[in-house]
Amino acid sequence: MIVLETDWSLMTPEISLAALALLVFTIDFMTGIHGKKPFIGRLAVLSLLVTAVLVILLNPGGGSIGDLFLVDPFARLFKLIILIGVAMVIMISMYYLDRNPEVYQGEYYSIMMFAALGAMLMVSSADLITLFIGLEILSISSYVLAGFKKHHRHSTEAALKYVILGGTASAFILYGMSFLYGLTGSTSLVEIGQAMPVLFQQYPALVGMSFLFMLVGFGFKISIVPFHMWAPDVYQGSPTPVTAFLTVVSKLAGFAIVIRIFTLAFGFEGIHGEWSFILAVMAAITMITGNFIALTQNNVKRLMAYSGIAQAGYLLVPFAVVLGDFSSTVIVFYSVAYLMMTLGAFAVITLVTEDSGMTDISSFAGLYYRSPYMAIAMTVFLVSLGGLPLTAGFIGKVNIFILAAAGDMLWLAIIMILTSVVSFYYYFGFIKQMFMTEPRPNDKELFVPGGLLTVVTVSLAVVLLLGIAPNLLLDIFNQYNWMPSFN
Amino acid sequence: MCHGILKEKGVGMMHYAWLIPVFPLITFLILLVAGRVLKEKVAYIGIAGLALSFLLSVLVLLERIGGETYTYVLNWMTVGENVVTMGYEVTALNAMMLIVVTLVSLVVHIFSKEYMKEDDRIHVFFAYLGLFSFSMLGLVLAPNILQLFIFWELVGLCSFLLVGFWYFKPEAAAAAKKAFLITRIGDVGLLIGLVLLFNRVGSFNYAEIYTAVEMDQLSAPMITTIALLIFLGAVGKSAQFPLHVWLPDAMEGPTPVSALIHAATMVAAGVYLIGVMYPLFLASSTAMTVVAYTGALTALFAATMALVNNDIKRILAYSTISQLGFMILALGTAGYVAGLFHLMTHAFFKALLFLGAGSVIFAVHHRQDIRDMGGLWGKMKVTSVTFLIGSLAIAGIFPLAGFWSKEEILASTLINGDGFLFLIALVTAFLTAFYMFRLFFKTFTGEFKGGDLNDPTEETFNEQAAWEATQSAEVGLDAGYEERKVYPNHQEVPENEPRENAGLMTFPLMVLAVLAVIAGFINAPFLGHQLEAFLTAGLNVGTQPHGALWLAFLSVAVAVAGISLAWAMYVKGFIREDFFSSKAPSIHKLFQNNYYLDDIYLAVFVRPTKEISLLLWEMDKTIVDGVITLIGSLTSRSGKAMGKHQDGQLQTYGLVTVFGGMVVIGLAFAVRGYFG
Repeated sequence: MIVLETDWSLMTPEISLAALALLVFTIDFMTGIHGKKPFIGRLAVLSLLVTAVLVILLNPGGGSIGDLFLVDPFARLFKLIILIGVAMVIMISMYYLDRNPEVYQGEYYSIMMFAALGAMLMVSSADLITLFIGLEILSISSYVLAGFKKHHRHSTEAALKYVILGGTASAFILYGMSFLYGLTGSTSLVEIGQAMPVLFQQYPALVGMSFLFMLVGFGFKISIVPFHMWAPDVYQGSPTPVTAFLTVVSKLAGFAIVIRIFTLAFGFEGIHGEWSFILAVMAAITMITGNFIALTQNNVKRLMAYSGIAQAGYLLVPFAVVLGDFSSTVIVFYSVAYLMMTLGAFAVITLVTEDSGMTDISSFAGLYYRSPYMAIAMTVFLVSLGGLPLTAGFIGKVNIFILAAAGDMLWLAIIMILTSVVSFYYYFGFIKQMFMTEPRPNDKELFVPGGLLTVVTVSLAVVLLLGIAPNLLLDIFNQYNWMPSFN
Repeated sequence: MCHGILKEKGVGMMHYAWLIPVFPLITFLILLVAGRVLKEKVAYIGIAGLALSFLLSVLVLLERIGGETYTYVLNWMTVGENVVTMGYEVTALNAMMLIVVTLVSLVVHIFSKEYMKEDDRIHVFFAYLGLFSFSMLGLVLAPNILQLFIFWELVGLCSFLLVGFWYFKPEAAAAAKKAFLITRIGDVGLLIGLVLLFNRVGSFNYAEIYTAVEMDQLSAPMITTIALLIFLGAVGKSAQFPLHVWLPDAMEGPTPVSALIHAATMVAAGVYLIGVMYPLFLASSTAMTVVAYTGALTALFAATMALVNNDIKRILAYSTISQLGFMILALGTAGYVAGLFHLMTHAFFKALLFLGAGSVIFAVHHRQDIRDMGGLWGKMKVTSVTFLIGSLAIAGIFPLAGFWSKEEILASTLINGDGFLFLIALVTAFLTAFYMFRLFFKTFTGEFKGGDLNDPTEETFNEQAAWEATQSAEVGLDAGYEERKVYPNHQEVPENEPRENAGLMTFPLMVLAVLAVIAGFINAPFLGHQLEAFLTAGLNVGTQPHGALWLAFLSVAVAVAGISLAWAMYVKGFIREDFFSSKAPSIHKLFQNNYYLDDIYLAVFVRPTKEISLLLWEMDKTIVDGVITLIGSLTSRSGKAMGKHQDGQLQTYGLVTVFGGMVVIGLAFAVRGYFG
């Protein structure tokens, strides 16, 4: 029987994280519900980092538990992205919770850890059921987090919207999955993928239906147009660190699983051509809509939501063009860049908006004169998001661009370049506020707490380092056979 | 993992060429960290850094004259199967460029020490200058086009920072943004072009691109496409028609910046780019024709706009655009050396003219309207004489620098171009001489019309500038800055008359004036076309055209005619000043309003972008509401319970997700034909 024969040590990081999350949960109970609990935050960060180390050290050769759970370079890299991302989000949250003591602190941290656990399970899964369980652990944790400021109308509203629409999306995904199961009698992605060439010959409409239903559902999770409308509302209403979590961790984990499922189940030669064009068109619409609407926004969180939508469009490009190792390298590199530049930006945003008590872009007025380091770091994150040289964002975009040109989708690359020029316009809005506007009269020099300082410094270092010496990562990535179970 | 590839064994000065950009980078870093503490001493650090760079550039050039191209690269980025390298290279062309950039940058640094001495943020200014010099030198030393692109963007960023240096002036902030965004249009073309190149050649290296072109690895239409895309980058950076509109506005930056970036170096980067990609351009006659005509039209249009402007810096800006057009015209008519030779001579005399203008502006307390000047000849001896030399040089009077290079461009258009191009070049040469001496006479001869310089009520009002300010405010940033007088104003100066500036400002003028006189001789025919031999050695850029003796006489005659006309109008008054504006007011207006290009851009690009954004935003917000009304009571009934404390959009979003899904599915099926 599979339970006894398999090598459960492959799951050590997940099991450890689950245990640590329960530990945090228990300690929270023992220390009373109310009050600030920075030590729990520190414990959570430590737990996540320990898990990250486990991911790095254990099972370098990879392996799988049946056809349910895969440990391959793709899964390991995305787990690292998730763990480091959540750890940074928690460091941002510690500042936020410190200023919002009415939020139940211990629960917040443990739920954040469970969300990370769900995301980790998801990126490792090779089976529809495992995948869905991971997805729901992540989603439900996210719903709770979005509504964490339960006495605030916006926060609860955001959570409610998120639950209902997220549920709809999950229904789409499940419906799409049911077609696959009906056709193959299996929930294993590998088996489905093996059966797919013949199935597609016999039942193109059913396979297409299944693909498209899943695309709609997952499209919602990674907020690509036209399934993006929830994102600005939810992002605006959620506590700012949760917004960061949704924009970065949740979205990247969603991307990982989209790539996984579509590669394994729908990835073979004959069918990729069928859907790659649909994805390319959606990527194009996503880039255009996200960047253009962002031009009209004055609320920082909404602006970042639309910017995040546009970035999802960029990430979709390599996936739409071609599957395989080069494509995965490009996607993972851009994911790392996206993680760092977006979380760095959100650290500064949390600091500034919490300090001023408003989320309008004018809260950034004169930041350079209040905290030069924060302003310069923010500028680097923004130009990286826009794609100027010497930043990780530039390298990531150039790689995507080269890939698209090689894959005969130059038009898509051109749309990407043009829309990223548009994006400079709204990123300039920040820069103008920070450097070219006087601080408001009551604004004093900004104190930057250690946690935020660490997040900003780490992000800044990575963004610049990868911009100057991209081979630090690319040399490693190029050696990977990202998904051995594909091909 | 890193290994250098040495093409030549001997390790001489060229091996250390990488230090040339590093010195200004170090000054930038020092000033960034310790600028506030050092205060006015920052200038010495900046000057010292550039002086070292200049010395090293001279040594490198001397070694390169006798030697071979030197390349040193490291692996930088692995893209799929291909390795992208970074490093540096000393070729004939960039050895010359190193001298031009470091020399002009050095004198601009010296000039700025005096010019910016009363600005609170002088340390920031010198830090930016250092960063710019680093970026520009990095651009020049790049051995591949991706590295060039990286530094290309960096110089653009520095230009943004320096144009917007006095950001509390709304016009300056708007101009900075305009410059950055418009040049990015060109950069998009360049980026697409270089990725296409990489896609076909598998490398960004110049050498490998040349080989690929020679070996016919690229199809003819592909070569044309790539060349035109790369040219688009040059059009943006070198302010060619129709992307030139940012350069006149960029004059809002401090004048030394205009001299360095917007006259001598950065704007010439586009010309340099065509220079390094020349084999590619030569392989496509279509691309060459486009290049030649763009250059010619730009040269002519910009000259006509310079005729009617009254702002001393804007006249020089239009003149720069026009001269850059000349260079590009030369390159487009196979005059490789002619174009690059003019790049060099122009760098010297245009930097001279801009610094001279800066000296004048400084002396008349930051007024720029030439109608408020006049009579400065006796009051500012060095500035006047050097400005005259610069004007004669740009007009192309024998034997100054501009004469030699302009004559070669005329020869190139005559021999390889067509009659039309030659005619345009000749007319432009005439106009150049005319507008330069209009500027010269109005500024330096006659009576001083500036009134009492210390009278605060005597604020000059420049209609043109005011008009343009409203335009750019509409294009760019919103107004609303607090006016902060930090930029230099001479409050403690007792005199109420303009007078010559300190030696630190006149010394750079003298250096540049000497160069404006002698720089042309290095490619003079009677000395055997030394520069041509140097630049074309080992390079396949075709035979260089040379003009007959009559052409030299013709070009001088045209220049003299232009100067005489200006003299007749503005000194002697034989012809009334408003002769043309009264005879043909509509043309005058057309010139004055920049051929209404700013308005056209506003109508064609800026407004539609805003409208599309708003439309998409409205769609996001409201179309859905319409859908809901259509769908009717079903949703509203089920949504009522929740709708009370919601804004009613939740159902909308849900519907859109569902319907969006349906539409995507429907479309996909229709397109792919699964139904059939």
